[in-house]
Amino acid sequence: MSVLIELHKVHIRYRTNRAGIHSVKDFFTSWVNPFQTTSILKDISLRLEKGQSLGILGRNGCGKSTLLRAVAGIIKPSSGQCIRRGTVAPILALGAGLELELSGYENIRLLLALYGKKASPEAIEAIVQFSELDDATLQQAVKCYSSGMLARLTFSISFSQDCDLYIIDEVMAVGDMGFQGKCKSRIRALQDAGKSFLFVSHFPDEVEKICEQAVLLDEGRLIQQGSATEICQHYRNLFM
Amino acid sequence: MQFLIQLYALSKRNVILRYKHSLIGFLWGFIKPLIYLFIFIVIFSAQFSTVSHYVLYATSGIIFWFFFSNIVSQGIQSFVLSAGIIKSVQIPVILFPLAEVLTELFNLGLALGVYFTLMQWFGLQYTFVLLWLLPALFLFSMFAFSVALFLGTLNVYFRDIGILWNTVQPALFYLTPIAYTEALIPSRFAFVIRFNPIYHYIKLLRVPIYESISPSPLLWLHCSALSICSLGFALFIFHQLKNQFITSI
Repeated sequence: MSVLIELHKVHIRYRTNRAGIHSVKDFFTSWVNPFQTTSILKDISLRLEKGQSLGILGRNGCGKSTLLRAVAGIIKPSSGQCIRRGTVAPILALGAGLELELSGYENIRLLLALYGKKASPEAIEAIVQFSELDDATLQQAVKCYSSGMLARLTFSISFSQDCDLYIIDEVMAVGDMGFQGKCKSRIRALQDAGKSFLFVSHFPDEVEKICEQAVLLDEGRLIQQGSATEICQHYRNLFM
Repeated sequence: MQFLIQLYALSKRNVILRYKHSLIGFLWGFIKPLIYLFIFIVIFSAQFSTVSHYVLYATSGIIFWFFFSNIVSQGIQSFVLSAGIIKSVQIPVILFPLAEVLTELFNLGLALGVYFTLMQWFGLQYTFVLLWLLPALFLFSMFAFSVALFLGTLNVYFRDIGILWNTVQPALFYLTPIAYTEALIPSRFAFVIRFNPIYHYIKLLRVPIYESISPSPLLWLHCSALSICSLGFALFIFHQLKNQFITSI
């Protein structure tokens, strides 16, 4: 089996701006150095074989989304190596990349073009069918959508791409039961076709169902790595 | 190729978004200069009588000034306002200010189409000299893009830049001979104008329209050098800072 993703001692540091001066003290300290460096990911090494799926678990703010962006190539590591051999579908996060003022149709066309795909009528039709959103809804500005409708749209666009790796960032929960079921069967079908998934969720049961492997992050460090069942159990114990 | 598809999609998005909820849509592109022109005629009426073809003179300045100032104003915000896309799609971020330039070129094309028709009654002569506008516009776009890229990059870290630009913009406008002629400036202040880069570009674009002659080689040289240097500088700053964008937008 060939390796799809390989992260080797990846560090990601952010320079954050401390602007937003709230007091005289802030004002003077910010003149000294308006930036501070924060480490988001520290020393992350992991491998994912082609066709396997990896669950990522951890508390809020532990660096899960940053890890996903590093794998997707959106963020370059400050040090270390992040190698990906294969194509990646855009990250599935709630409303990711959608332009709120544009209509559903306009967003579909925009995003397809941004992914470098041709917005052919067939491609659009396939997305519309999968999303089960009706014509009137898709002509409305996306800002009027409920979170479930946003999830339907982003899922449908992302799943219409033919890629080796799909990245899902905590979006499953907002769709209704019918759509969740549909997404899961789609994921299963794609997995059977040899595609991989990176799956972030706060529901260990979901992770167990979808992934064979999982990792547990804590404060930017990868503290545990192993089979999904084992890691999910560990994750549950964190909150006991 | 993918680069071009993305650039086109972003520019199209800009055009749609800009006039999404307005009644007269892209007509604003040439109504805005028209309103300015009207104000100038009222304020500078004294000068109006001494300058031949004042309407043509002022219009040829205003249109290109708006072209520049729109690119910079939109470009400054382009990274910040596209945070959603930058955070979820792997895309070269430099496309965002570049798309603003394309959008404005489109708007400018529409405005020029109308003004070139109207201006025949105000002294515009249709000669081959007007073709100099194409390379001149290329240089001016390059300069406007550099300013937008540089300020837009800084604006990611310090939102003050956007506010500052809005404040400085009117000053810059009146420092450029758009509504008034160069002859009006006292010689001891002439250096101020010469240090204003936009002055050179406006002149480069105005000469073929207003005077129906080719711009001088020296002016071409000035503008080319200015465009290349500013682009180099803006790209340098951008490349230094772009990797940290995602955390600050």
